[in-house]
Amino acid sequence: MGVHNPAALPLLAVLGVLVLLYLRRRTRTRIEVPGFLFWDAVPEDRARARRFRPDPLFYLQALLLMLLVGGLLHPYWARTVTETHGRRHVLVLDRSASMQAREDGRTRFAAALDLARDVVATAAPLDEIMLIGVAARPTVVSGFTTDHRLVRHRLDTLRPLDTGTHLDAGIELALLQRDRAGRQARVHVFTDVPASTHRSSEGRAFTWHRVGETDDNVAVAAVHVSQPPFQDAAAARAYVLVRNYAARGKAATLRASLNGRPVFEEAFRLPARETRSFALRGFDGPGRLDVALETDDALAVDDRALAWIAARRALRLVLVSPDPRFADEVRRVSRVLPGVGLVHVAPEDFSPARLGAEDVALFHRFVPAGAVPVGGLYVFPPADNPLFPVRAAAADVRILDWNADHAILRNVQYVDALPVGGVRVLDPPGWAQVLVSSRTTHGEIPLALAGEHDGRRVVCLAFDLDAGALTDADNLTLLVVFLNALRWLQPPDPAAPTLLPVGAPFFVPDGVDGLRLSVPGADARPLDDDTFGLDRAGVYRVTGDAYRALLYANLFDEAESDIGRADVEEADDAAVSATDPRTGTRTVERAVPVEFGHWLYWLAAALLAGEWLYALVRERRGHPA
Amino acid sequence: MSLTDPAFFRHLDRLRLRVRTARGHRPGQTPIPRTNQAWGVEFESYADYAPGDDFRYVDWNAVGRLDQLVVKTFTAEREISFHLLLDTSASMGAPAADGKFAFARDVVAALGYVVLASNNTLRVAALASPDAGPSTPYLRHRSRFARVGPFLDALAPAGRTSLQESVRRYVGETQEPGVVLLVSDFLTPAAQYEGALRILLARGYEVKAIRIVGEGELHPERLFRRGRLYDVEARTERWVTLSRANLDAYHAALDAHGAALQRFCHTHRVPYARLSTGQPVVETLTRSLARAGLVTLH
Repeated sequence: MGVHNPAALPLLAVLGVLVLLYLRRRTRTRIEVPGFLFWDAVPEDRARARRFRPDPLFYLQALLLMLLVGGLLHPYWARTVTETHGRRHVLVLDRSASMQAREDGRTRFAAALDLARDVVATAAPLDEIMLIGVAARPTVVSGFTTDHRLVRHRLDTLRPLDTGTHLDAGIELALLQRDRAGRQARVHVFTDVPASTHRSSEGRAFTWHRVGETDDNVAVAAVHVSQPPFQDAAAARAYVLVRNYAARGKAATLRASLNGRPVFEEAFRLPARETRSFALRGFDGPGRLDVALETDDALAVDDRALAWIAARRALRLVLVSPDPRFADEVRRVSRVLPGVGLVHVAPEDFSPARLGAEDVALFHRFVPAGAVPVGGLYVFPPADNPLFPVRAAAADVRILDWNADHAILRNVQYVDALPVGGVRVLDPPGWAQVLVSSRTTHGEIPLALAGEHDGRRVVCLAFDLDAGALTDADNLTLLVVFLNALRWLQPPDPAAPTLLPVGAPFFVPDGVDGLRLSVPGADARPLDDDTFGLDRAGVYRVTGDAYRALLYANLFDEAESDIGRADVEEADDAAVSATDPRTGTRTVERAVPVEFGHWLYWLAAALLAGEWLYALVRERRGHPA
Repeated sequence: MSLTDPAFFRHLDRLRLRVRTARGHRPGQTPIPRTNQAWGVEFESYADYAPGDDFRYVDWNAVGRLDQLVVKTFTAEREISFHLLLDTSASMGAPAADGKFAFARDVVAALGYVVLASNNTLRVAALASPDAGPSTPYLRHRSRFARVGPFLDALAPAGRTSLQESVRRYVGETQEPGVVLLVSDFLTPAAQYEGALRILLARGYEVKAIRIVGEGELHPERLFRRGRLYDVEARTERWVTLSRANLDAYHAALDAHGAALQRFCHTHRVPYARLSTGQPVVETLTRSLARAGLVTLH
């Protein structure tokens, strides 16, 4: 006996309310009589009349309330039931990219499916089977069911993906299901990963079905395009890393094509477990770079990769500065940057209407009052500017910390060598993060900020740039940071794709309607959700109302490409995969909670009807209700 | 059946109010017992012939047997003045569920119709306190019954019961005694109602007492078990628990009060009827009042 919803227990306080109502009604109600001529013979009974002596109607109403509250408590009594059921099996199937490796004329995944089908075939008729697929994330393909035909059908429809695997998470999910409802289930893992790599077994028994033995794989391990800032495609370099994961030498041919036109081809031979990089150059224009490795290996999904050669984009830099010497400084820098044009505007002549969609604004010692419709670099904002609250001024501060992970400072060395002279001590706005900072006994002094404000990127340098600061050979770090900031502020190229690893999720911005998704190897389909996972390597296209996104997904996963999967240690798979001798059906007794709250509701309804009849009878008899 | 029902009036047409001692000067249709006259319908007695008597009333059979001239005399039929006095004190309106006052109004209206239908004079008055209550003028003929209803509808129970003073005030302004039907709950000390009845008797009225009793008075246990009682006239309260002993004490007081009233009426030859609001008005008139000798059936 117990209750499922003890939170309803405080509702019993309504009984107190009922008592108060009765007391109040009794003290407020009086019975009018013609006179006390006859009542003078009856002694006045002040003491007894004040006691709470409810009538039967009160008890009926109290009982009614208690029944209703009792129903809300969801009471139950435990009934012992005897069940005859079979054993439970949880089948965990590895669907990662390495399971596509072909051996002996079939893939590892097909071999794993055959093993799983064997388990299903040998299961007793009452055995329950659950199916979990594991790739980048575990998924319950089929819950516990005794319909083995359904399980076989689900097995037939399963396909391996191009992603890595989180097998540990899948096994943990299976073990959680195994321990559910107090019924032990046997967990079967079908994978090409050796059991010794599984970290979370913790001694809990499960059956490990390992498939695959070969290590015969050569893969494109990485493709990196290096393109100097503000340069065109001709200056781009593509570096392709090819690795032989086999324990023997392998011959292969690397081919690359730009927008379908071959740009590179080289046959080579890689010794066992060796890596070789290829530098591709001389691209005659921007576009998609397809890299393909032609070799006779077991795994094909990692033999190709995609990259993007970006076009040089024109950048119109609008400089708003009261200092003509600084304008000359920036002009000298812009002259040596291909595609960068400079427009100098005096602060008093500036208005947002002078900015185009592709521009970047550089505000020196000036912050406009209104919103700026383009990305802006603010250098040494004045003390009374509306965007960056200035606390004080400082001089001769030293750079003590910087955020090396930010795109503006990535790969920048000697950040502490930035020439910092006079500094505005700013209160960093909530939307900005500090890139470079100093610190005094009075707290942190942000020297460079970056963030997004009113939908536009904003960078702020709290220190002034003196004449020659950008062009002095000693201030190369400052020039790099300056150029990085301009690149970061430049709007993204709408034609350029987003490069993502396979298995990563992609989030579509809110408010886009009519979404359609085109995935590799399939037709475009409507996209119901605003997020999806990139389960296949290749090109993804997302279209919607005034929205377009191009995604390149590559498999650069050493754990998947290294299909040999050497054991971490000499594991005894037999010990892990010891089979459970118990088979067939079994009978268990267990307590099942039988809820009877609804009966209390019915009883309350009957009581309500009885109460109504009681009141009706009293009224008919002339008694007060 | 109500006062708006024609069938009800057909019942009332069969009723006559009994008159025993009242006298009237104008000829009418109400027979006065133990009084005779030389003409009429109902034979009363014989009288020695006197010069001037109408020969049509000489009983020649009696002359033949007695060898003496005798004439028949008849029961006198007069027009009697009926005074219907309705107690309008606040006690007549409590408990409200009893509908005591409405019941009393119906009874008075029905009796008023009976009076007018028998070609008698009717006056209906409200016994109110401390001011004099309203009253109708003397009404004759049943067509005047239309004035009785609005008069009664305008009355409402209010004020304290002061029967003696109210009756004294009424008889002081009334010149012509007749039959008085006092309709009240008589919820006053004995001295009050005895004084009122004595005044009427002393002024030569033929008095008939009709006591209205509510069901709530007879069965207070139906109203409450424990509670705060409120005296609508004295405007006081008291807490009462209706235990068995208390209920017995109440009934004893109620019975003693009724018995004292009945005993006084019997001693002073005042016909007395106790009407309960639980009965229909028609049944009250045709049975209870007839059994008490207040009305007769035609």
